[in-house]
Amino acid sequence: MATLAQQIAPARRRSKHSTAWWFYTIGKAIVGVVFVLAALFPLLWLFIAGFKSKTEVISTPFQFFPDVWKWQNYVQILGDPTFLVTMGWTFLGAVLFTVLALTVNSLAAYAFARLDFRFKRTLWVIVITTMFIPGMTILLTSFIVVTDLGMLDSLSVLVIPGAATAAMIFFIRQFYLSIPSSLEEAAMLDGCGRLRIFYFLFLPLSKPPFVVMGITAFLAYWNSYVWPILTITSPEKFVVQQYLATFRTGRGSSELGLLMAGSVLAAAPVIILFLIFQRQIIGNIKMAGLK
Amino acid sequence: MTVMHPTMTDTEIVTAPNAREARQRHRRYLYRDGKIAYWLLLPAVVLLGIFVIWPAIYAAFLSFQDWSFYKAPEFVGWRNYINVLTDPLFWAAIGRGFVFVAMTVPPMLLLAFAFSSLVVAVSRRFASILKVSIYLPTIISTVITSIIFVIIYDYSGGLLNAFLGLFGIDPIAWLGDPKWALLAIAIPAVWLGMGLTSLIMVAAMIDIPTEYYEAAAMEGANWWQRTFFITIPQMKNIILYLLVTGFVAAIQQLDLPLVMTQGGPLDSTTLPNLFIFNHFTNDVNVGYSIAAALLLFVVLGTVSALIFKFVNSERLVD
Repeated sequence: MATLAQQIAPARRRSKHSTAWWFYTIGKAIVGVVFVLAALFPLLWLFIAGFKSKTEVISTPFQFFPDVWKWQNYVQILGDPTFLVTMGWTFLGAVLFTVLALTVNSLAAYAFARLDFRFKRTLWVIVITTMFIPGMTILLTSFIVVTDLGMLDSLSVLVIPGAATAAMIFFIRQFYLSIPSSLEEAAMLDGCGRLRIFYFLFLPLSKPPFVVMGITAFLAYWNSYVWPILTITSPEKFVVQQYLATFRTGRGSSELGLLMAGSVLAAAPVIILFLIFQRQIIGNIKMAGLK
Repeated sequence: MTVMHPTMTDTEIVTAPNAREARQRHRRYLYRDGKIAYWLLLPAVVLLGIFVIWPAIYAAFLSFQDWSFYKAPEFVGWRNYINVLTDPLFWAAIGRGFVFVAMTVPPMLLLAFAFSSLVVAVSRRFASILKVSIYLPTIISTVITSIIFVIIYDYSGGLLNAFLGLFGIDPIAWLGDPKWALLAIAIPAVWLGMGLTSLIMVAAMIDIPTEYYEAAAMEGANWWQRTFFITIPQMKNIILYLLVTGFVAAIQQLDLPLVMTQGGPLDSTTLPNLFIFNHFTNDVNVGYSIAAALLLFVVLGTVSALIFKFVNSERLVD
């Protein structure tokens, strides 16, 4: 086998500059570039449209690039206090949501992964079952619940109801199950209690699942639209997606350049977040997906 | 037997207190973390209880009631369900959901397959550029996606019609024409959904042992043969998983039609969830909407189970 592989390898290397090899390589490059363009084109187009004047975004005849690159759209949308306040509140809400979700779910995950207690299986089954309840089924009754609790039209209605999720508990629990118990036993022999073990041992080790779950939670909050339009009614408390959707329907095609600039700015935080952590996110899809 | 019997009870009597004590000690050991565990679980369980479990139970309860925000509930038995099941609009929405699935899931799986074949065949650096760019759309919100595509589809000044104009094709009102509107929504749905599908497929494709390909290459198998006889059979489970999750995600699509078309024109983009959502927001009869949501849930579960069963039975054959 080894000799065969060795025989094949040089043969491949020798054919490196043959016509077929070039054909194949160039073909792959072209297909790859097509994929990249197809994925990025709408975003690129959005970015360029952010520099267009009112009449240029939709114009006959169509033009892809603006005549003059207008920074005014960005200046104007950033000068709009409503937009800034919306972005700020959405950001604050997303951070609060992420922190709350990670705290609540990792504590539960630790208990399910490491502790022994009565009704553990029953509770686990109940928690996992909630994963299979479709959002649409409980949308209205959740709305009734938050109405009864007096949470409507406040930050709490966006941050609290979705914080605990079975999927996140499940994900972090899987990670905690993989931590060797000898570490924990050593700590216990040294007289560490459960809470101290969680805080000093599990939390520092939790970075990988926390990054993935944290970004998932942040994105979910930042991108959510349906729940906010049901529960947030005062325009000054709108989340950023609501602001953009209202902007589109409200001001129509008269200020499309402005809308495009606003959309670019609204997409920027999540794109930056993704680019910083892309290695962890992409690396963890295998883990989160199936295994 | 008769001789042994008293002996047995004898030993039982002798050991019983010890055993019980041991069992108690064991239980105390087994549940030693009880108190602290409940404190750790409390926040998550309370939140899930209030915002998921209770609404679910309440939804099941309300589906049997005639109820609105303005009056006390009244038990009506299966009437809501019967109303939903006899409503042609509900079935039309479900049917439209299946059409939408057919428009999004197969193209998405084919594209993702082509994409992952490409990723495993190129250099590491190019592969990571490919993976990052395919995943980028996934993180963009549906609202922003809708805004982008609504303007691309614009009748007189949109990019798509301008592009088609180069080939002498007359402009089409993509979102205004019932013939095209659903397809026009399927494209951004594929764009948004490609990332996760592709990367799961890439992960699965990398897991296939390279020995298989080496052996096949030695036998002189070409790319198509390697794909059909090694890659696809090896990835059957992943493809099935993606098929089911893709189906469930596509038929539950709500945001895109809600923002892009509000279900129009002529209901041509009223997917099942939007149908229910519109009932939620417009209809005073809450029971109807909830019954419809529960029924949709049943339909989804059944279809997923059927797909699993179908593919599994096929697997038994070979």
